[in-house]
Amino acid sequence: MSSGTASAAAAPLLETRNLGVRFGGLQALEGVDLAVQAGEIFGLLGPNGAGKTTLFNLISGVTPAGSGAVLWRGGAIHGLDPNRIARLGIARTFQNLRLFQSLSCRDNVLVGLHRQARLPWPDALLGTPRARRHHHHLQEQAQGLLELLEIGPLGDQPAAGLSYGDRRRLEIARALANAPQLLLLDEPAAGMNPTEKEELRHLIRRLRDRFDLTVLIIEHHVPLMLGLCDRLAVLNFGRRIALGTPDAVRNDPAVIEAYLGGQA
Amino acid sequence: MDALLIDASLLQQMLIGALLGISVYLPLRCGQLSLATPGFYAIGGTLAALLSTRVDALGGAEPVYPLSSVLLEMLLAAALAGGLAVGIGRVVLRLRGVYLAIATIALVEILRVTTLNQESLGGAVGIFGIPQPFLDPQGYALFTLIALALVCWLCDRLERQRLGRAMEAIRDDELAAACQGIDTDRTKLVAFVLSAVVAAITGVISAHFLNSWNARLGNFDASITTLAFVVFGGSRTWAGPVIGGLTLTALPELLRPIGDLRLIVFGLVILVGPLLLPQGLITPERLRLIRGLLHRGAKP
Amino acid sequence: MQDLTQLLLNGLSTGAVYALFALGYTLVFSVLGVINFAHGAVFTLGAYFTYFLIGGAAGANGLLAGLQLPFALPFWLALPLAGLGAAAVALLIERTAFAPLRQRNADPLLALITSLGAGVVLVNLIQLLVGAESYAIPTGALAGLPAAVRIGGAQVRSVQLLLLLVAAVLLTLLTLWIDGTRSGKGLRAVSEDPTTARLLGIPSDRMIQIAFGLSGFLAGIAGGLVGLSVSIAGPYFGIGYGLKGLGVLVLGGLGSVPGAVLGGLIIGLAEACVPADLSGYRDVVAYGFLFVVLLVRPQGLLGRVLPSKV
Repeated sequence: MSSGTASAAAAPLLETRNLGVRFGGLQALEGVDLAVQAGEIFGLLGPNGAGKTTLFNLISGVTPAGSGAVLWRGGAIHGLDPNRIARLGIARTFQNLRLFQSLSCRDNVLVGLHRQARLPWPDALLGTPRARRHHHHLQEQAQGLLELLEIGPLGDQPAAGLSYGDRRRLEIARALANAPQLLLLDEPAAGMNPTEKEELRHLIRRLRDRFDLTVLIIEHHVPLMLGLCDRLAVLNFGRRIALGTPDAVRNDPAVIEAYLGGQA
Repeated sequence: MDALLIDASLLQQMLIGALLGISVYLPLRCGQLSLATPGFYAIGGTLAALLSTRVDALGGAEPVYPLSSVLLEMLLAAALAGGLAVGIGRVVLRLRGVYLAIATIALVEILRVTTLNQESLGGAVGIFGIPQPFLDPQGYALFTLIALALVCWLCDRLERQRLGRAMEAIRDDELAAACQGIDTDRTKLVAFVLSAVVAAITGVISAHFLNSWNARLGNFDASITTLAFVVFGGSRTWAGPVIGGLTLTALPELLRPIGDLRLIVFGLVILVGPLLLPQGLITPERLRLIRGLLHRGAKP
Repeated sequence: MQDLTQLLLNGLSTGAVYALFALGYTLVFSVLGVINFAHGAVFTLGAYFTYFLIGGAAGANGLLAGLQLPFALPFWLALPLAGLGAAAVALLIERTAFAPLRQRNADPLLALITSLGAGVVLVNLIQLLVGAESYAIPTGALAGLPAAVRIGGAQVRSVQLLLLLVAAVLLTLLTLWIDGTRSGKGLRAVSEDPTTARLLGIPSDRMIQIAFGLSGFLAGIAGGLVGLSVSIAGPYFGIGYGLKGLGVLVLGGLGSVPGAVLGGLIIGLAEACVPADLSGYRDVVAYGFLFVVLLVRPQGLLGRVLPSKV
């Protein structure tokens, strides 16, 4: 098993130590150790039910951890509410898409800008010039994010009416609006055609460079992941069975047996 | 003149209905089905009735009760209801969906039965001879209209701000909202407290207008009627409960010519309304459409 | 001792009515996940049906003033027929207030409103037809039974014993039906997992109708019994029971049949224990229980925690 470059760098941005959780009789995740360094694109591979989304839920505070620890810049964050964790700079998307259905695309992004939208209440109440400038600035920011994700013209449309691919894009735009340092993407390419997948790969790299992001990504499409990620971890039955660079993971016998099989 | 007087009374009741509609709407905007509005309405009404009849310094003996005293009562009622709502909200807002609805129904009933059994709060008979700040219904209607306009304006500002958007986001998907860094517990609590304050202030106005106050004014029926205002009018923008409150309060009166059938028709409206208009009469999209048409009409 | 027996019997017979009533809520909740707010009106109707079936005449206020059925049934026959009538009304409510929302995939919370609307229509229809006055079902309806019997030195009204007996029989039958028959098991399957039940070929629409029919039948019987025991106080008299039934429902756990029975008995007994000088607060007992239970154990005494899926 390869340990990659993790040990060489300083304190990792995100670290999980011996992380585990049980749902009823099912050990969904067990003893998972990961260290994600600032600036890398880190992939999570594994068959369905391997515990990838569960890991995201534990990191983002959606599900309380059963055992072990989640560290952010060296400090423990497990046990915090999702909103506290989001405010630390960890944003996520959802595998089964959780957009605000009755809101327009622009408003979805504006909700994502929540943390930056704070305004002293007298200004907000009276609609002072300052409030108007602030409002204008937010609208521009939202529009900018929509355009970055190539859904600029859809700003006024209700999120519920979008195509599948556009919904995935809108969720990424909303997550970026949180101004995160760490972006958790849960199957962003699901439902996309091969061309769109290829575009997405470039887009994620572009976003990482532009926003100085660290990306943790779950995706089933193995070629996409091998081409995109700096490092990968492979989960199976809730345990980490491999960790390393794409080349190392591709040739790991445990991975070949458990997951890639004849595919690789 | 006689007809005019009746109309002003009806208008006053309609305006009260609109205010109560807004009170139910505020928690519902963040997806919280709270039926506590009549409870806080009763708190405001009982407080106003007690203060104005028992505290001489407020000017209850004067021929016209001073408006400043009414405003003071409103302030105190808002503080009392708001404070209670903070405490109650922290506890009940942990509940979801139908559980929250049932808990708030229980709250309203506990308040009602307690008032009914406390002679000092008026007991079963109620409190009579509440002094009048206005000598005719027109005065009341004007005062309430101003209050409603103010509340609507505040709601309109709220809906354009981050707090208003956060409320909508929580209603659509509470978990996703929390993942955007929204403190969902706090946002829900703020909505609950605002709802209580609006209801309590409305109770103060109502107590003076009705001239007497008793425990029956804040009962389960009121929970349902006020909820119907919002469901009928729409719960996505403040204009919904206002239109719902105005029309549904007027409806039984307008239906008076059909006599005993009117409450049956009222029930039918509540039964059929959600089937025909699941979003309510007024939605942001329809408002935009109307605004667009008006603009086009203004500059041909 | 004598007082204790009296107290226990009072509590149990009130509790039995609450249990019958809350069972109706629970049956509907278990298949649809919503509360039928028209349930109180169905209970009221059951009482009026019983009154008319045993040959009672309508009062002077109302469109049906003075009307009387051309026959008078004995109580033991009138009560189940009133239950069937109430069941028919419950099915009608399902068709008008619940089914259309289901077909449109609307927010289930809207069913709270539509069922309330149905309740308002029913209550006012009763008022329009037979007026707002109270009706007493003559205790002579229980021909052949003495008005009271002595148990352990306490005078007990036969009506109360009858109430207890009928409730116990119905509850037993219901439990046997749920555990021992195909349709009963189907009902439970639908309540536990509607999607899987549908895949297994259990028609959930039919189960929903069965739940409504049963719920109406139980409410109708409860209404008839209460009407006999304390008279019908007017078209609104079911509303108080309706609200208290909510307390029972939450106390026992939404969707739990044994929970509804347990909850009903607990609240009935607790109310009976309220001393006479505080009797004005008797109605608070149910709501107080409800409130505390919601906060401490929201799934109720015998309810299950539903797993939430992210």
